[in-house]
Amino acid sequence: MIIPFVDLKTQYQNLKPEIDKAIEDVISKTMFIGGTYPEDFEKAYAEKYGVKHCISVGNGTDAIYIALKALNIGLGDEVITTSVSWIATSEAISQTGAKVVFVDIEQDSLLIDVSFIEKKITNKTKAILPVHLYGQPAKIDKIKELCDKHNLYLVEDCAQAHFAEFKRQRVGTFGDIGTFSFYPGKNLGAYGDAGGVITNNDELAKFMRMFSRHGSLVKHQHEIEGINSRMDAIQAAILSVKLPHILDWNKQRFDNACLYNKHLKDIKEISLPKIMADVSHIFHLYVIKTDRRDKLQKFLDEKGIQNGVHYPTGLPFLKAYDYLGHKEEDFPNAFNEPKKILSLPMSPELTEEQIIYVSNAIKEFFEK
Amino acid sequence: MRFIDLQTQYLEYKTEIDAQINDVISNASFIMGSKIEELEDILANYVGIKHAIGCASGTDALLLALMTYDLQPDDEIITTPFTFIATSEVISFLKAKPVFVDIKEKSYNIDPKQIRNAITSKTKGIIAVDIFGQCANYDEINSVAQENNLFVIEDAAQSFGAEYKGKKACSLTDMTCTSFFPAKPLGCYGDGGMVFTNNDKKAEKLKSLRVHGKGSHKYDNIQIGVNARLDTIQAAVLLAKFPHYKKEIELRNQKASYYTERLNDCVITPHVCAHNLSVYAQYSIRAKNRDQLQEHLNTKGIPTAVHYPRPLHLQTAFSFLGYKKGAFPISEKVSNEIVSLPMHPFLTEKDQDKISEEIISFYS
Ligand SMILES: Cc1ncc(COP(=O)(O)O)c(C=O)c1O
Ligand SMILES: Cc1ncc(COP(=O)(O)O)c(C=O)c1O
Repeated sequence: MIIPFVDLKTQYQNLKPEIDKAIEDVISKTMFIGGTYPEDFEKAYAEKYGVKHCISVGNGTDAIYIALKALNIGLGDEVITTSVSWIATSEAISQTGAKVVFVDIEQDSLLIDVSFIEKKITNKTKAILPVHLYGQPAKIDKIKELCDKHNLYLVEDCAQAHFAEFKRQRVGTFGDIGTFSFYPGKNLGAYGDAGGVITNNDELAKFMRMFSRHGSLVKHQHEIEGINSRMDAIQAAILSVKLPHILDWNKQRFDNACLYNKHLKDIKEISLPKIMADVSHIFHLYVIKTDRRDKLQKFLDEKGIQNGVHYPTGLPFLKAYDYLGHKEEDFPNAFNEPKKILSLPMSPELTEEQIIYVSNAIKEFFEK
Repeated sequence: MRFIDLQTQYLEYKTEIDAQINDVISNASFIMGSKIEELEDILANYVGIKHAIGCASGTDALLLALMTYDLQPDDEIITTPFTFIATSEVISFLKAKPVFVDIKEKSYNIDPKQIRNAITSKTKGIIAVDIFGQCANYDEINSVAQENNLFVIEDAAQSFGAEYKGKKACSLTDMTCTSFFPAKPLGCYGDGGMVFTNNDKKAEKLKSLRVHGKGSHKYDNIQIGVNARLDTIQAAVLLAKFPHYKKEIELRNQKASYYTERLNDCVITPHVCAHNLSVYAQYSIRAKNRDQLQEHLNTKGIPTAVHYPRPLHLQTAFSFLGYKKGAFPISEKVSNEIVSLPMHPFLTEKDQDKISEEIISFYS
């Protein structure tokens, strides 16, 4: 049996008539760039999310870059972020010319360790960029307090956490801007690259819209220089079909995580994902930890159980950041924990039968 | 009447386009699927260049190409002010400085002689644009570049398939870029673009930069990059359209000749040099009382567009460069007179007759 890591094929089969129609609509109207499809999605997303503005952009990396540019962050500034995430998070900071300042993670949740943040704040610090990793909100209330105290901007990277909540408030709405990826494998995913930013601030919204469309809101009038970062209409139309399902899908992922927990809880050699207080976790990824990760991974590969490691190396230790000269001791958790983590198949479409199959395989591995 | 008729084109190729898109969706291979490489191979072969690298847009293609040159702040790049903003936007995006030089009065392409005068000790490269689908004068541009040790990027966003002295656009300089924006001669169904180069090292670097500066595998990030991939769905659309493209270029040229025969006496029609084959991304005329003409055509149901109403040196976004009105007289004059007429392979003679008659009657 092959267990897919994310089951996009089944999801498509479930929504086929609507998705096919959405694509056909866009093509027959030949409205591929801008226009009603992205606009309708933006409105629907903002409304469902409960914010004033959503601006659709090319992808989740651009979303962060655009958010930072809107806050006028650039050369000479510092932005504080976590040390375990997809490189997009820190890369977008560097793209602006600002310096990336990493903070170690909590050993159990793998989220940014808030207790270390304050020590990293300098007079150059402009913003904090936490990541709600794997679908679990970081301690955003504490982070917000720090931002207020030190007069810093707060941008939340919600690429993995659409509609996740911290103390019943949705992530992405605590600070100035929330950024999203709609990469196909995300909880809400398009059929190609796509992203978005949300904000309640009219000025920031206007800037981000203009900046991502070559600095122009009126054709051929370029008030500022910008970039080309738009969501294709085809992708917007597909996302509009999927959006009404996102809360159900998040719930199904959570239920599937509970099933995994139930079937895996007796295996002493692994630790299960830690759910922190005050959060609703939407389980973009279901990540276990074990000291025998590489061997287990190989075993699952052989069984046809697709899996992943998110991410094998803490950000400060990537070659791209060699120039910062970080050492193991600077971020011990970010150095050690990535060696133990393993992401198991996870999607709303995953069945209990599949979960049991995966769980039994893991048991079998440790009983060997 | 449509300015560009993508509907008719879709209906003509519907079976192939639908099948290609379905293929991508049913395999759920949306990111960097095998169709990307298939398209890259086909198009590299078509233009006669070793490497083709799909990108998220024509702007990103230019950006990635330029990133491979490791520009330093204050490096100067010479380019034309008579183009879409993307051409120079990417220069300042990388903190380098765009230096504009004027265009030739007939082709609207950058004037190689003026490039020579604009070179300083800080000049690193040139971005030439093949405006409206006609290649710039690359023999001269490349020789100025060689003499001064500069790189040249061909912005072929509007000229994919065009020819210069028998060679294909996108093969005329060190690095070349095109756009598959839907309205371009070869367009996809969203944003898309491509870079071409014979340089192995640059190709490798560019492929890494395109996907977050990756090294040997996805999570081995060796440099700061961007996310600028061509969507597989868009590659699929291009795979369906490309086999028809040769015929479309012929049709575009036929439509252009048909216009020119009718309009030659009354407006300035496009001038394509004898050694060039244009793909007519735009069929643009220069007309007296342009705004009134546009208004007149509009009331008759004829869509037109102005490429470009304001040269880049006069855009607010570039005011920091300090150029004044009058700095580039030809670009400024052309911007005031230019207007593009409906142009696509499915334009009918009936429509062309109507358009021509309305223009002639406006002036008589
Ligand atoms: C935490 C995080 N930030 C940013 C991104 C970037 O999103 P995208 O791939 O759409 O550019 C991703 C996803 O890839 C992500 O997981
Ligand atoms: C000359 C020129 N350069 C660059 C671009 C940018 O291409 P894209 O719109 O695909 O980003 C365009 C088209 O818009 C163009 O006409």
